Amino acid sequence: MSADLLQAVADVGKGKGTRSLLRVVILCLIAGAAIASRLFSVIRFESIIHEFDPWFNFRATKYLVANGFYNFWDWFDDRTWHPLGRVTGGTLYPGLMVTSGVIYHALRALNIPVDIRNICVLLAPAFSGLTAFASYLLTNEMTTTPSAGLLAAIFMGIAPGYISRSVAGSYDNEAIAIFLLVFTFYLWIKALKQGSMLWGAMCALFYGYMVASWGGYAFITCLLPLHSFVLICMGRYSTRLYVAYTTWYALGTLASMQIPFVGFLPVKTSEHMPALGIFGFLQLLGFLDYVRSAIPGRQFQTFLWLFAGGIFGVGLGGLVLATSLGFIAPWSGRFYSLWDTGYAKIHIPIIASVSEHQPTAWPAFFFDLNMLIWLFPAGVYLCFQQLADEHVFIVVYALFGSYFAGVMVRLMLTLTPVVCVAAAMAMSSLFDTYLVAKAPKPEDHVADEASEGAAKKAAKTGLKSTSRPVVGVYSYFAKGTIVSGLTLYLLLFVLHCTWVTSNAYSSPSVVLASKMPDGSQHIIDDYREAYQWLRQNTADDAKIMSWWDYGYQIGGMADRPTLVDNNTWNNTHIATVGKAMSSREEVSYPIMRQHEVDYVLVVFGGLLGYSGDDINKFLWMVRIAEGIWPDEVKERDFFTPRGEYRVDGEASEAMKNSLMYKMSYYNYNMLFPPGQAQDRVRGVRLPEVGPTLSTLDEAFTSENWIIRIFKVKDLDRFGRDHGQAMAFERGIKKKAPRKKGPRTLRVD
Amino acid sequence: MRWLPAFVSALVASTTGVLAVKKSTEERFASFHTKALASSAVKLSDASFRELTAAPRDYSVAVLLNALDSRYGCQMCREFQPEWDLLAKSWTKGDKKAESRLIFATLDFSDGRDVFMSFGLQTAPVVFYYPPTTGPHAAKSRDPIRYDFVNGFQSAEQMHAWIARNTPNRPSPPVQRPINYLKWIVTTTILLGGGTSAFVAWPYVLPVLQNRNVWAAVSLISILVFTSGQMFNHIRKVPYVGVDQRGGLTYFAAGFQNQFGMETQFVAAMYGVLAFSAMCLAIKVPRIADPKVQNVAVFAWAGILFFMYSFLLSIFRVKNAGYPFALPPFM
Repeated sequence: MSADLLQAVADVGKGKGTRSLLRVVILCLIAGAAIASRLFSVIRFESIIHEFDPWFNFRATKYLVANGFYNFWDWFDDRTWHPLGRVTGGTLYPGLMVTSGVIYHALRALNIPVDIRNICVLLAPAFSGLTAFASYLLTNEMTTTPSAGLLAAIFMGIAPGYISRSVAGSYDNEAIAIFLLVFTFYLWIKALKQGSMLWGAMCALFYGYMVASWGGYAFITCLLPLHSFVLICMGRYSTRLYVAYTTWYALGTLASMQIPFVGFLPVKTSEHMPALGIFGFLQLLGFLDYVRSAIPGRQFQTFLWLFAGGIFGVGLGGLVLATSLGFIAPWSGRFYSLWDTGYAKIHIPIIASVSEHQPTAWPAFFFDLNMLIWLFPAGVYLCFQQLADEHVFIVVYALFGSYFAGVMVRLMLTLTPVVCVAAAMAMSSLFDTYLVAKAPKPEDHVADEASEGAAKKAAKTGLKSTSRPVVGVYSYFAKGTIVSGLTLYLLLFVLHCTWVTSNAYSSPSVVLASKMPDGSQHIIDDYREAYQWLRQNTADDAKIMSWWDYGYQIGGMADRPTLVDNNTWNNTHIATVGKAMSSREEVSYPIMRQHEVDYVLVVFGGLLGYSGDDINKFLWMVRIAEGIWPDEVKERDFFTPRGEYRVDGEASEAMKNSLMYKMSYYNYNMLFPPGQAQDRVRGVRLPEVGPTLSTLDEAFTSENWIIRIFKVKDLDRFGRDHGQAMAFERGIKKKAPRKKGPRTLRVD
Repeated sequence: MRWLPAFVSALVASTTGVLAVKKSTEERFASFHTKALASSAVKLSDASFRELTAAPRDYSVAVLLNALDSRYGCQMCREFQPEWDLLAKSWTKGDKKAESRLIFATLDFSDGRDVFMSFGLQTAPVVFYYPPTTGPHAAKSRDPIRYDFVNGFQSAEQMHAWIARNTPNRPSPPVQRPINYLKWIVTTTILLGGGTSAFVAWPYVLPVLQNRNVWAAVSLISILVFTSGQMFNHIRKVPYVGVDQRGGLTYFAAGFQNQFGMETQFVAAMYGVLAFSAMCLAIKVPRIADPKVQNVAVFAWAGILFFMYSFLLSIFRVKNAGYPFALPPFM
């Protein structure tokens, strides 16, 4: 009886049906784990949209749901970039909004009334489950080991490198784009392996979806041609490659051109040219292949290959020529800065100013990938064992992914899938070696030693390390040690991922959490407090000027028009705001009047020690303004003569007189006993007399002083300067009488 | 007799003053312009600097204050000087009739200590632009406009843009770099030589190119280099090692967002050891036919793996103080 039971337990997982069932159950559990680990923020805070860009996506989704698809497509938004407005429908990637819109309407059709906000908040975790499944499929194409796919799925599900962009509430393009990226790669491998037009068309379809979702589609657009090119160079041109590539390119390009934001870019810009070039080159190779099969002759073949190489060179030269003559747009700044790493700092400060465009220090790699980062090279090495077409893909992807991730922090996201796949291959090959109950018998393999020479000769083209035949592991103790060690590392990995997700990636950044001395949690909710104040106390069309970081949040939460926002399409407009912030009041006031600004919003962390405030970002405002008005705003003026950036009594004159400085520290010293005012971010004591403002009135300051809102004064009733008016109020007499005239706006 | 030195000095002062005033702004410009045509940027001394920039002037002056002497150890001064000369030369040559009325000049610290003192300059190089005080292009303020090299080295073209911005409505001849014949010859020779040797060595190079081991090694090394933050070093130009307060060397930078050059190499080596032991365990060990050797190999590699990973975690705790996980022995 008990023996039967043992037998039954031992048999579980041996039958094919049971295995598939187990596999489905495991995948479902993995998806569950992936979703669950992304819910920290919802549990800790609430179901809320995070950060900056998601607020715009959320606003756009609400617009889509309320006004229908066609209105969304033609949406002109007059509540941002005042007074320019933004052709929103034509300048966004609609994939994300349309996805949530479709889910919303589908649920409605099923009579499940779900708030659109909850769909938006939970979209990223839901798609992370799908991503785990997609990496399972992709890994299964790489290896015959059944466990590798499952390991890849769980790695992908909980790796912090992906979680960082897909926690609940992080309603951004990357939320669905990483799933599409991995799935498109899977379909590409499938199409390439089978030479199937159907899979190629599927690949093109998902590529089109990817283009509709994220600007990072260029990664696919460059990686697939590169993979094909490497295959061609290795002499692996085949009709399978031809069919897969041409199907993907023709259909995928057509699909991508349907997106208004992309339009004709695929035939006009440099980052799409490799795909076009390889398409043409493949046609040529296809023709030559046909000719070769028809005409034998070795010399003729040599001639053909030289001919092909020559055409390739001529094509490349033509491309360079067309670019220099201006028919093809050169690399856009953002892409170019990936290659010439010093370019952005000199030419496009707005790109260099974004924190996620900074290069990656090594702790970030370990933080985001933990042990996968050292299993990754081992997995890539395993790919060299067989080096079939799909393994070449992993190698190429690994090289380029790690280069890009090193140059830009945010591209860690595109590296994570390949790391998970490669690490899973390494891990599963370790488990396959050491988790076998059967041990080899030593006497069987003594004979093998003799025939080793022959084996070595046979395996000359392969890797040196795999020249000898596999024997297996003899000792059970050795097996036990390795397996328990690996299990320990895996458990540590899970702990690490959970810890990182919980501590680093689950803060909405709209709501801040801090610990009280007794250990209880204290929520700092200044942002929403201030935005709610704006919503309730200002006119519906009151224009808010703030630095561009807060544009989307003001639009989303306060529903007020803004001058600039996180869609940084107009550098001059941003520089205008930068100039207004960094100039004297007399210069800023006309700028604000001309842009009909009603309120100015600044973020100040000095009281709380909140380091992400505007004074710390101030130099970027200065730099961006200097890029447009180099004679009026100078970065040098904001440093002390000794080259320090200071805010205390020693601060430079330009700094002290700048609007940003005045707004940040206005009335701040009233909070402290005289002479004790302190800035807790910069850690300095402020001068005893605080700055005075003459053209702005303080309108609102949030509980912890993080957000300060100032109202722009109207022109003086008696035609005076605001400075004079303030002086009069303080009881200082005018020195010289001035001629009275109508109210005018002084422009310096 | 005590009045004599005073009288002499007063006389000297008045005559130089008179001379400076007497020489009209037109004459001064003409004399300096001829000098500029002869060389590239006019070399100045204390006296000629004062003369050139004396207040009533209907021309502009762009002067580079530099410290070329190797005693001052100013790398950028030496780098920028040829660029400045090139700019001066192509501007002066391109504007022979002197319609822009701009004189390029250089004042080295060894020739003009007093000028440096009077500006209170702590750093070099610095460029001053003196706008004309009279004439059609006269500026409102007679003070010079200062250009500090806050963004590091500037090329002649970038400097040209700055000067052209300060001299609007005047011709600004573009920078013309001379053709570097030597460079062309060297490049051609190298290309031809490289092509020839490639052709000759092709039978020997081809097996290397087709060797899978070579490609695997190249790929793995580049992956290790990229994932250990080498690009960060390249972009941020971090120092190789750091110096702590007591003047000793530190090999690990404090803070999550910082790193030193040596640190990254160390990390890359650790990743390499970890990956290599994992590869050995997965590929090499099961191919060892001798049971005893295999047993030793398993425990050796497993020990190295464990030890290294524990060490890596301890290093990571240095970078990220709140990190709670550790493995023995480096707890």
